[in-house]
Amino acid sequence: MIWQQLQSIAGSYPLALRGLGMTVVLSLISLVLGTLLGFGLGILRTGGNRLISGAIGAWVDLIRGTPFLVQIFLIFFILPELGIELDAFTAGIIALTNLAACFICEIVVAGIRSVPTGQVEAALASGLSRWQRMRQVVLPQAMRIVLPPLVGQYVLLIKDSSVVSAIGLTDLTRVGWLVVQRVPNGLLVFFLVGLGYFIVCYPLIMLARRLEQRMGAAHGEVQL
Amino acid sequence: MTKTGMIEFRGVNKWFGTLNVLRDITLSVEPREVVVVCGPSGSGKSTLIRCINGLETIRDGDLTVDGQRLGDPATNMTRLRTEIGFVFQSFNLYPHKTALENVTLAPIHVRKIPRAEAEEAGRELLAKVGLADKVNAYPAQLSGGQQQRVAIARCLGMRPKIMLFDEPTSALDPEMISEVLDVMVAVAEEGMTMMVVTHEMGFARKVAQRVVFMDAGAIVESGTPDEFFSNPKTDRSRAFLSKILRH
Ligand SMILES: Nc1ncnc2c1ncn2[C@@H]1O[C@H](COP(=O)(O)OP(=O)(O)O)[C@@H](O)[C@H]1O
Ligand SMILES: [Mg+2]
Repeated sequence: MIWQQLQSIAGSYPLALRGLGMTVVLSLISLVLGTLLGFGLGILRTGGNRLISGAIGAWVDLIRGTPFLVQIFLIFFILPELGIELDAFTAGIIALTNLAACFICEIVVAGIRSVPTGQVEAALASGLSRWQRMRQVVLPQAMRIVLPPLVGQYVLLIKDSSVVSAIGLTDLTRVGWLVVQRVPNGLLVFFLVGLGYFIVCYPLIMLARRLEQRMGAAHGEVQL
Repeated sequence: MTKTGMIEFRGVNKWFGTLNVLRDITLSVEPREVVVVCGPSGSGKSTLIRCINGLETIRDGDLTVDGQRLGDPATNMTRLRTEIGFVFQSFNLYPHKTALENVTLAPIHVRKIPRAEAEEAGRELLAKVGLADKVNAYPAQLSGGQQQRVAIARCLGMRPKIMLFDEPTSALDPEMISEVLDVMVAVAEEGMTMMVVTHEMGFARKVAQRVVFMDAGAIVESGTPDEFFSNPKTDRSRAFLSKILRH
């Protein structure tokens, strides 16, 4: 029986590939956008302006403190009420990008704060502008702290992307739901769905671990 | 109007919360003059020189540097800082950049000097401080004395008008102190305007025109190194000198 079910599942491989593709595309786009936005927010958050910094802090707390499913429903069902029409894909990208940006913002802030004040003072004393100090002195040193959790965050993002199936996007998780209606073996189907996610995430998990080890070693080396 | 010095404090006060760290400081440093600042720990020496390049801001009084009044909206602090080198007690070299990159960063990005030219000048400066063979070394691969010499070269790379030193040798092992002081003497002899927070009396006697003694945020005594070291006028400076002499 398992054999028949496997054959039946194998028959839906074009659908599975489409689902995997959707998951990868969604994750990749929001990962890139979320990283850019997250760095921007993190830099602004540590900048001098209290109002901007406070507003970003409040937004990040709000997003971190509410379920992603609720956020995605708000974007998909509430925004159209306000006259902003969104297709499911765009809504998914917006929700995921926002989520990623908020978590990455916190990671970037921690990285920036880990750079000793003496470094900023040295850069300041030699006349570097605000952006030059960030670009040349602070960010390169912050990256040591930022990189391992950043890659870890990508893994979380890929997994969180499964929530977009709730607004009807045919990603890997939704393909699971569709297939299970034909092949009544939830355990088997979702085992394979899980395997799909794992295959995408595992290289990143390994990368995060490698980075952590490398950065750890480098950290000891650069101590004054 | 009276002639203004390169660095001119007039009635400067500064507070950290309720602590009056600088009390009514009036002090003028002429071009090419070398002034040594000494005094007990916590007396406000670092704060005094950090005000000059705006790492600290003053609350009242006037502070004029190279003819520009600090805190004046017309004064471009970032520009003014390019004229002022600052050497830190803890070096503060950029750990992710080589010695040469440390020296060329500001000339390339702030002075907009072409990279090749900046690197040429950087190599020369590193050779001048005795580190021709360490051009490509990272700070972590250098001793404290070598790092501090790179830090001095980094300042010189901007061709500043003024150099400020905040206890440049007090984080160093004793055997490395003289290699740094020798470089500072060479800089002084080339006519740099300098304010140096240090307790190195040999350095003060050799190049300083004036020693300023601070205590509890105020300038208590000021005179030539000879006057100050052989004939201190106040009880507090006598007590301070007897302490550092015992070491
Ligand atoms: N950022 C700061 N905030 C509050 N107090 C400070 C700060 N920096 C220095 N102080 C205090 O100001 C006084 C003078 O400090 P400082 O200028 O570093 O003295 P010195 O360099 O002579 O040892 C000390 O009592 C110190 O604790
Ligand atoms: Mg000090």
